[in-house]
Amino acid sequence: MHKRALGAVAVTGVAALALSACGGSSPTTPSNTAAGTAKATTTGVPETPSGTAAPVRDANVDLVIWTDADRSAAVQKYADEFAAENGVTVKVQISTDTRQQFKDATKVGKGPDVIVGAHDWLGELVQNSTVAPVNLASDVSAKFLPKAIEATKFNGQSYGVPYAVENIGLMYNKDLVPNPPKTMDELVATGEKLVKEGKAKQVLSQFVSKVGNAYFAYPYLSAFEGGGIFGTNAQGGYDPNKVIVDSPGSVKGGEVLADLGKKKVLSTNVDDTNQDALFDSKAAPFMISGPWSVAKAKEAGINYGIAPLPSLEGGGPMKPFLGVQMFYVSSKAKNAALAQEFVTNYIPRKDVQLALFEVGKRPPALKEAYDEVSATDPDVKAWYEAGVDGAPMPNIPAMNSVWGPFGQATADIIAGKAGAQARLDAAAKEIEANIAKG
Amino acid sequence: MTKPLALAIKWVLIAAAVAGAFVIATKLAEAGNTLAVVLAGVVGLGILAIYATRRAVPLKYLAPGVLLMILFQLWPVVYTANLSFTNYGDGHLYSKEESVSDIIAQSVREVPGTPRYKMSVAVKERASVETADLILLLTNPEGATFTGDPSGLKPLAPEGVTKAPSGKILSAPGYTLLTARQVNARSADLSALAVPTSDGGGIKPVGLSEAFEGKPTMSYDAASDRITDSSTTPPTVYAPADARWTNVADPSQTLPQGWKEGVGLANYTRIFTDPTLREGFVSIFVWNLFFAIFSVLSTFLLGMLIALLFNDPRLRGKGIYRSLLILPYALPIFVTALVWKGMFNQDYGIINQLTGLNVDWLGTSLGAKTAILITNLWLGFPYMFIVCTGALQSIPQDVREAATIDGANAFRTLRSIIMPLLLVAVGPLLLASFAFNFNNFGLIYLLTKGGPFNGADTSIGSSDLLITYAYRLAFSGSAPNYGFAAAVSVIIFILVALMSIPGFRRTKALEEIN
Repeated sequence: MHKRALGAVAVTGVAALALSACGGSSPTTPSNTAAGTAKATTTGVPETPSGTAAPVRDANVDLVIWTDADRSAAVQKYADEFAAENGVTVKVQISTDTRQQFKDATKVGKGPDVIVGAHDWLGELVQNSTVAPVNLASDVSAKFLPKAIEATKFNGQSYGVPYAVENIGLMYNKDLVPNPPKTMDELVATGEKLVKEGKAKQVLSQFVSKVGNAYFAYPYLSAFEGGGIFGTNAQGGYDPNKVIVDSPGSVKGGEVLADLGKKKVLSTNVDDTNQDALFDSKAAPFMISGPWSVAKAKEAGINYGIAPLPSLEGGGPMKPFLGVQMFYVSSKAKNAALAQEFVTNYIPRKDVQLALFEVGKRPPALKEAYDEVSATDPDVKAWYEAGVDGAPMPNIPAMNSVWGPFGQATADIIAGKAGAQARLDAAAKEIEANIAKG
Repeated sequence: MTKPLALAIKWVLIAAAVAGAFVIATKLAEAGNTLAVVLAGVVGLGILAIYATRRAVPLKYLAPGVLLMILFQLWPVVYTANLSFTNYGDGHLYSKEESVSDIIAQSVREVPGTPRYKMSVAVKERASVETADLILLLTNPEGATFTGDPSGLKPLAPEGVTKAPSGKILSAPGYTLLTARQVNARSADLSALAVPTSDGGGIKPVGLSEAFEGKPTMSYDAASDRITDSSTTPPTVYAPADARWTNVADPSQTLPQGWKEGVGLANYTRIFTDPTLREGFVSIFVWNLFFAIFSVLSTFLLGMLIALLFNDPRLRGKGIYRSLLILPYALPIFVTALVWKGMFNQDYGIINQLTGLNVDWLGTSLGAKTAILITNLWLGFPYMFIVCTGALQSIPQDVREAATIDGANAFRTLRSIIMPLLLVAVGPLLLASFAFNFNNFGLIYLLTKGGPFNGADTSIGSSDLLITYAYRLAFSGSAPNYGFAAAVSVIIFILVALMSIPGFRRTKALEEIN
């Protein structure tokens, strides 16, 4: 008993680390020995993992793609086409946490050749030497939204092909609010009137949570001149040495957060678990959220509208972060040639972009595809217009130092625990210290 | 069982174990890990020596346990301790050489104004597609055809060349074109291939059918150990400092790719000297200890009381009550913890609504700690209830009768007879429960994520346990640093081990009652 329990203690103490860190050191040999003999076959359906474990790379196919469950069917369809065209085998595997699982698997030489992910992973992936540059011809990249292409670049190098852009906007309940408010003051006045009349329980539903949410808080800062998270360097990229969360513009945004917190428009008690429910149960006439909330609102039978974020008094319109979904090629890809071919030749196709649009209903990154869907789908147009002023979310690794401290600072300001100036100053110091450590 | 059958089974098992060791050894050999291959071989031979001979009888019993202990308990500890002396973490995953080659490879940029070629990959006719030197068959936008190899770009006579509508060459006399799969099999050769051009760049393939002219902007000089970025004017020089390539002129600029290196005791020094960490560590440790002790005691007391109640022979329908009480234990914590989180919500949670309170449960230090303890009591008491019910049923009835005859009242019987007997059975489980709760990662992570965070420090939460703190450092913090988190884990290990030793001594004393 003695030894065993002591051992158990030891194991629990190190399990989290050991699980991800253990493993061989050098990659296994490529698996193309069956090159001439294997028939071009496709797997038909994406492989589903059991539980939340990372998928195990299939060593016997010519191209391995990891994506999340939602997108897998669409990716599979074109992977099959690619397989048939080139006489190779392709496997699409579902990963539950692509970012971490890709990093961990690549470290031990068992990673996929291609992954589907968000553009803000890029800095971290480059830092860890896990993604390879993807060189698109200039006439091809000109077919994409310029901001989407910008998001796939890091230090001037391009690392993937985008397929969708996403951003937050203002969702409003048309039954309660016929026309969307243009300013935050208007929004608050409309909402408070509805609350007073008993038609709603609160003004706005926005993900804040006890630890804060930097992604949703950022637009309040960006509405003011000079407000935001990072300044830019000479090349126009985000500069990790210029933290501006405590700039005068940012502090003005912080004061708006404090004011809205005082008025109970924003509350740290609203988080990812109840944000949609508040809007969908008609408790809140307004919600600041993204395309992912639409399906639930539809299901709840809400007569919703989508509008750009309102503008703030003394500043301009709130500018959300743009997130770009893209295909990456692993720098340790066993099948680099096929991976590059698939990503550079298939993803820029209109039909591929349209198929991927159907999955998440986010505006496609390819202009042609966007034009086609926006003509028929007013939601897509509305989301796109809500993000027109937005800037791509920083993809530099230093952004990892921002989420926690900046999020918490905004939560504290909203909760009234600290003043905007003092709290943002402290957050800036913490962010700078974290970046220096990293 | 007859002797020959037993013998046959024994040898089959031995053969299976040795074969298993052999399979593992080949896998390790494939991965190029020599030391591990030797170890696997030693284990295989050891199994043979212990079980195939008549000698070493005690080892026959001990070997499997010892082997598994080394594999699953000692090895992770050694590995973690080893890791704690490095800077292994994001941006520091690979060797310095790898960082150099990666930086140069990633710095290849398309030379502006150069044509984009359609490409096919070929070898000389009758040469082996697996090993022969690769030749690129290129078509420029005007339709002119070229061959490219490391010696340079040469025109390819259009006679006999067939092209696809895109311009890609489909066949050319004197060359064997590779299929997609054949090209892919040679991905490594292909990415190493660059057809030199007059302006110092190289024509490099993209995928299977395109090529562009690119030029690396970074270069490495091994003699001075400097990387130079020629894309800026004047060129930027990077020198190695602190496991990163650092701009000589402006040390705040570093290249993203660093490398892994030994840092000695730096991680441990940081734990004990960084003032925020030190204070945080102390406060987390105190709360962690309190959390584990309080959780064990509260769940044990509640579980035991209910078990005593339901052990009364006069109570009917015990089966139903018992099943219902086990429910919290049977539901997955992922569900229950999130439900509790919702119930503790200040504005929308049922707890504040029912009690008429307006407590900010998850937003204040005290509130979060209370919420965690309440949730853990609810989650943990069924286990203690099961354990105590089992132990109570094994206490013989005659002992209690003897106590009653001797004139002891119910409380006295409980204190002097039942409790000591119960603790003999349950004591070690209480210790195990302590160790479990000391590292109860799931509950904290699901309920509060370690928060709320006070003041301007989001690395140390007020409801953090050491394990959630180490996790944040290693995986979800601002700069994931496995080396540092390993150092924290080693310290947690030492602390828990030190605290457990007296506990197990005490258990031994309890066992002597029997």
